[in-house]
Amino acid sequence: MPRITRSQRMYDWFERRLQIEGPIKDAALHQVPRETASWWYVFGSGAFTLFLFQVVTGILLAIIYVPSAGEAWNSLNVLNHQIPLGWYLRALHGWGSNFMVAIVFIHMTQVFLFGAYKFPRELTWIFGVFLLILTLGMAFTGQVLRFDQDAYWGLGIGISMVSRVPVIGGGLVHLLLGGPIMAGTTLARFFDLHVFVIPGLLFGFAGLHIWMVLKLGINEWPMPGRLVRRATYVEEYNRLAHEDGIPFIPGAFWKDLVFSAAMVAAVAVCAWIFGPSGPGGPPDPAIIQTNPKPDFPFLWIFSILAYLPPALETPVILVAPVLAILALFAVPLVAGEGEKSWRRRPVAVLAVAFIAVAWGEFTQLGTTTPWSPHMDAWSSDSIPVRYLRTATPLARQGANVFQEKQCRNCHSIGGLGGQRGPALDSVATRMTRDQLRFKVVTGGGNMPAFGKNLSAPEIEALVAFLSTLHPANEAPAYTPSRPYVTNSPP
Amino acid sequence: MAENDPSQPQAPTLPTADLSVLPAGAQDPRLVSRRWLFFKAGLAINALVGIGLAIPIIRFLFASWRRDSSYESWISLGPIESFPAGQTRLAVFKNPFTRPLDGITDYVACYVRHVASNQFQVFAVNCAHLGCPVRWFPQSQLFMCPCHGGVYYADGSRASGPPERGLFTYDWKIVSGELEIFAGQMPTLSNSAKLVNISIGEGKSPCRG
Amino acid sequence: MHRRMRDWARLRTRLRTRPWMYIALRLTSPLAFAPLALLCGCNSPGYPPPPAKTPGEITSFATLYAQNCDSCHGSNGQDGPALDLANPEYLALADDATLRKFTAEGVTGTEMPAFATSAGGMLTDAQIDALVTGMRKAWSKPNAFVGAVPPPYAQAKAGDPRHGEQTYQTRCAGCHKNSPDEEITSPVYLALVSDQGLRTVIIAGRPDIGQPDWRHDAPGGKLTTPLSASDVEDVVAYLASLRTPTLPGRVQAQTSAKIPNQRTASKKRSQTLSASAAVRGAK
Repeated sequence: MPRITRSQRMYDWFERRLQIEGPIKDAALHQVPRETASWWYVFGSGAFTLFLFQVVTGILLAIIYVPSAGEAWNSLNVLNHQIPLGWYLRALHGWGSNFMVAIVFIHMTQVFLFGAYKFPRELTWIFGVFLLILTLGMAFTGQVLRFDQDAYWGLGIGISMVSRVPVIGGGLVHLLLGGPIMAGTTLARFFDLHVFVIPGLLFGFAGLHIWMVLKLGINEWPMPGRLVRRATYVEEYNRLAHEDGIPFIPGAFWKDLVFSAAMVAAVAVCAWIFGPSGPGGPPDPAIIQTNPKPDFPFLWIFSILAYLPPALETPVILVAPVLAILALFAVPLVAGEGEKSWRRRPVAVLAVAFIAVAWGEFTQLGTTTPWSPHMDAWSSDSIPVRYLRTATPLARQGANVFQEKQCRNCHSIGGLGGQRGPALDSVATRMTRDQLRFKVVTGGGNMPAFGKNLSAPEIEALVAFLSTLHPANEAPAYTPSRPYVTNSPP
Repeated sequence: MAENDPSQPQAPTLPTADLSVLPAGAQDPRLVSRRWLFFKAGLAINALVGIGLAIPIIRFLFASWRRDSSYESWISLGPIESFPAGQTRLAVFKNPFTRPLDGITDYVACYVRHVASNQFQVFAVNCAHLGCPVRWFPQSQLFMCPCHGGVYYADGSRASGPPERGLFTYDWKIVSGELEIFAGQMPTLSNSAKLVNISIGEGKSPCRG
Repeated sequence: MHRRMRDWARLRTRLRTRPWMYIALRLTSPLAFAPLALLCGCNSPGYPPPPAKTPGEITSFATLYAQNCDSCHGSNGQDGPALDLANPEYLALADDATLRKFTAEGVTGTEMPAFATSAGGMLTDAQIDALVTGMRKAWSKPNAFVGAVPPPYAQAKAGDPRHGEQTYQTRCAGCHKNSPDEEITSPVYLALVSDQGLRTVIIAGRPDIGQPDWRHDAPGGKLTTPLSASDVEDVVAYLASLRTPTLPGRVQAQTSAKIPNQRTASKKRSQTLSASAAVRGAK
């Protein structure tokens, strides 16, 4: 009989009572197809690691954070500046969130392209869609908890979208706000969602998701031409896993371990270098000098809302998300069998490419928001000196009018100013004085009519200034017939 | 993969007591009808208690789901002299409906336009598009929204951008020389029935109330 | 335990007997805490900036000027379309009260808007003060007129436009040769500037765009016969006489007859009123 060491005896004491060794061994040593030990299969575990990381950093932040409308902003500043490394914990949680959202999307794309949602893993995919929605829910509620101006008005955008629901919109608004306005009860219930409700659901769905992965096996590497059929798939998979398989640990799992560690390390480095986001100005509803913008995961929605025509707005806000989620649910139910390899699924590849490009473009637009007036441009962006060097006294007054009437908020000169309207650096080559006058007075397109807000001398001065805006080697536009019908210059 | 390959080398298992063995008397539960009845009765009692508790819990959860009118009341913005005729001024008031834990968030801003001779218009700062705070520019007589570029004329009617309608307005009256408005909740499209904006002349607001 | 205490005692005696060692230890001990200081992360690139100020709390002249004045008065107080505030002669001519009044309330009829919250702007009184003192600090120069006495800032009496025209022809028209539509004699231009604005520029000049002050032929150029106080008044009166009365300067807020959303005050309360009787019932 071999000598039993003290540690082994202790292990036995616990194992005799817990009886957990068997299930763990089953899970750890189950056979998986050899090619699934791939770097392409690490995103799911990476996302789960980041979720646990978020839980830990979130619990740590809650030691200091006060979920009260009156105190939340102060407690964030205390975290940033008074608690040693409080800022770093905030940064870790914020960057962990960015990484988690990104990894969840990458995981989903990989699963979609590898056909892993097909029989018998339909429900794994559907629960994955729930996990995606919950992850985005965490990102949004987390943005609200960073209770600054952006969070306050960003929540207002969300509430305004909910208010468009027919019949019960008003009630839903009250329910979400916990009252008539965004205030103390509102923050408290978003704290509740962010800290209890959604994480609880995430744990539940993630647990089932992982359970199903263990029970149904990791999706085999898709081979072009190897079709999924309900009648034969399970048998084929088992044969593959046993004839050309390896135990999950260590064969496949070491890559998951390395990737997860790399992700957490990347979060730690990003947090150290880029720091936490905000908080911005205090959430004082009376301070209206603000430029609200949602966090990165929602910028694309912000952009789409800027481009929708007014008539389409409510239908798109209310119907599009429902359709999108239903479509995601339907994917495995409609295409539960057949080809798995992305090499033979051009529609799937095109769909992913289209969504990726559209998402990237809308997100990029969301970072620059060319549709937003620059609220301070009229008083802060100076006019390039070269545009004034030869200006007449009237044109100089026109430049004053141009600034003072907030034209600059939407039109840029010399690269500074809003981008809502066209840049005016060479407007004189495009429009004659008459056309400029007409446009200023009547507006049109996306431009308000300024006729009632400008006096005749102001309009003349403004037109005098605008008609000087042309490159030196390019003559301003003119009306050729004008000298023949009037005595005035062209 | 649940199946364990029997050919796999198994780690030596320690002798354990099988605590899951049923007492000798226990047989197929379906045959023991009395115990089964008690089990069902137990479920029923739990369901009853659950439903009984659900009512107060749901009432608690939905406590804020109320009629608009229960939140709104008249509130003073101060003497009318603080709003010069012909000008539009930002005014801040404490929401009539507040709770002690609101901090600074129980303040609400609005724009007061004193048109002429004690004729007023009071606009919500919230853009009719998605609720961002619009800013008043007295120089160009325009309200501009920083979020998606909604622009409104001085009378609140839509000038350009994505909003479907003009700015939300509050009802107002003058009492003892003070301007009072009927306010209390965040203006959104859902409660705009109370905040109808009737365009007055200039601009082309597609929604005229 | 005993051994450890004995070691510690031996170290202390050794330190006492060898002062250089003591000093070296005192000097290097902060280094032992360096990793701790690093741990607070205050020097890391990600360490957050101080808490955001509300717009009303900003009192730095540079920030306030850049946000509010830059666009018209130029980045460094010059080379903008509007008056160059960095002109020491202008700052010597106008007193603080004037600067404060114009900044706070704007200049009626011109494009200079009001900035004080009391006048519908966005700046607090403290911020207006910060701008005025900041301008003085940044651009005022002692003895800006080099001993000369300029005509007073404010106009004393009404000028004589006919004499003003002669003065204009001899002293101004030599440079002011743009087309009549866009020159300072154009009624359209004159509708947009105030008499005081004309007077200020005639006296203090605009060195950034080549307008001399009242005693030079060009900025920093030859001294000429200075314009007398009455010369300045006459030229301003001449230019003012060229204005077309029907051309308004700036559009002021329009009024509108019919206003929605008014609710009649409740009867009970309205009986206690008298002042706003005209308003009630106008719905």
